[in-house]
Order: sequence, then C-alpha cells, then structure tokens
Amino acid sequence: MSTATSSSWGTALVNISPYTFSAIGIAVSIGVSVLGAAWGIYITGSSLIGAAIKAPRITSKNLISVIFCEAVAIYGVIVAIILQTKLESVPSSQIYAAESLRAGYAIFASGLIVGFANLVCGLCVGIIGSSCALSDAQNSSLFVKILVIEIFGSALGLFGVIVGIIMSAQATWPTKV
Amino acid sequence: MAGFSGDETAPFFGFLGAAAALVFSCMGAAYGTAKSGVGVASMGVMRPELVMKSIVPVVMAGVLGIYGLIIAVIISTGINPKAKSYYLFDGYAHLSSGLACGLAGLSAGMAIGIVGDAGVRIRFRNMCHPTSTPWRDLALQFLSLLRRDLP
Repeated sequence: MSTATSSSWGTALVNISPYTFSAIGIAVSIGVSVLGAAWGIYITGSSLIGAAIKAPRITSKNLISVIFCEAVAIYGVIVAIILQTKLESVPSSQIYAAESLRAGYAIFASGLIVGFANLVCGLCVGIIGSSCALSDAQNSSLFVKILVIEIFGSALGLFGVIVGIIMSAQATWPTKV
Repeated sequence: MAGFSGDETAPFFGFLGAAAALVFSCMGAAYGTAKSGVGVASMGVMRPELVMKSIVPVVMAGVLGIYGLIIAVIISTGINPKAKSYYLFDGYAHLSSGLACGLAGLSAGMAIGIVGDAGVRIRFRNMCHPTSTPWRDLALQFLSLLRRDLP
C-alpha cells in the first residue's frame, strides 16, 4: 500500500493530515459560496436601485433576484454544517491510515464542489437579476419571463449541493481499535 | 482497514476529478445562461413577444450542468477502495475523465453564451427587416453535400 510514496506527489500528499484537507474543504464551502452570493447581490442590487429611480414600482418585485442570490449562501452554510458533522476524531496511530486519508480527501473535494458551484451560480443569478430589473423598468410584462431564465441559473447551485452531499457520504473514518 | 486495497493517495485525484467535472461544467452553464439571458432581456425590451421563444440557449446551457452532475456522481460512487482496489491508475483515470467532461462543458457553455446572445439580437433585427432565409440556406447546404452539382 505504500507504493504511492515512491512518487513525489504521493510522499507530499501522504504526509498532510486529513484534518487539514477537511478544514480547508469546509472553509471553502462556506467562504466561496458567500463570496458568490455577495457578488450576485451587489450586481443585482446596484442595477435595481439605479433603475428604481425612474420606475419605483419595480423594487418590491425584484427583491426576488436578491433572494435567489441569498439562497446560494444558505446552501454553502448547510453543506458546511453537514461536512463538519462528518469529522470524527481518530486515534493518532490511525490519522495517516488509508481510510482516514480518503475521508479527508472526500470532505475537501466536497467543499470545493459546493463552494465553486455556488460562486458561479451567484454570479449568474446576479447578472440575470440585474437585466431583469432593468427590463422590468422598461416593460413590466418582462419580469416573469426573465425570472424563468433566473430559475435556470439558480439550479446550478443545487447541482453543487447534491454532488457535495453525495460525496460527503464517502467520508468514513476508521473505527477506533 | 481490512479490505482497503489500492494506493493511498489515489482517492485524492479521483475526488478532484469529480470536483473538476461539476465545477467547470457549472462555470460553462453559468456563462451560457448569463450571457444569453442578458441578450434575451435586451431584445425583450423592444419585442416582449419574442422572449419565450428565445429561451432555447438558456435551456441548452442548463443541460451542461446536468452533464457535469451525472459524471461527478458516477466518479464519486466509483471510488470505493473497500469493494474494489483503487490504484493510482484509477485515480488518474477519474481525474482525466472529470477534467474532460468539465472543460468540454466550460467551452460549450461559453460558445452557447456568445452564440445565444448574438443570435437573439440578430433574430430581433431580422424580425424588423427580414432579409435572410435561414432554413432554406441550411437545406441547400445539406443538399449540396449530397449532390456535388448543386452550388
């Protein structure tokens, strides 16, 4: 099983604690999701406020775009909480066992998936929400139609959450001997 | 650890492959959705009745995210060192398949975005001044592939 240590990648990876990978994964899952949500809200919000100067009727309806962006941050929080409940303490003789390493990698990849999928989802929903506000200001029949496009965009964050949760089921630590 | 066979670091590459599949496909889907959505909204200001017909590029871009989801789930459920030995070979194979799916999805999404954005704006312009006959041109092109003597 230690044939992996014959290569330099293997030696480097095997000597990093799985808890390092897990912690980075959890941090990325919430941090980058919140970055995506914030970016989307700032894109939508600035267009919404600017367009509402001449068309104040759009403000209350177009808050839905802001809520879609916020949902992305909530996905990140949920997955971060789920991932940190997957952490278990193992005796120090088993921290670098193959099964612990695999659990650490699973949590790391799961966090990466959720974080970056939510980042691009937040950006996408923000850009579409901004054009939704601007076109709603021109013609109020367009609001529902552009909202359909926004719903397609927000599905991307859900994909990330689904895969992240499926992958986190692989994070099984060795039982205490 | 009974029955855990294979290389220790191979799951790192396998899980990263699943991550690459989903993340890059979602990037492509997001780009396609956002860029063509902005084009649809801009066109819809002038012609609201054309908006629902022009949603096709958005749907196409959304499908890319689903492709990435499927590949990511297949890869991630295939990493089971207890049931089947998972060597570095398998890890690298999963990494490359995830990168292949993801980067292809990213490029497809960017193409869908750019083409969708340009297409809906041209559609609007054509509705105002109909000058082209797209279906007839396409049919003529296919026929000319079959019959060399057609122009």
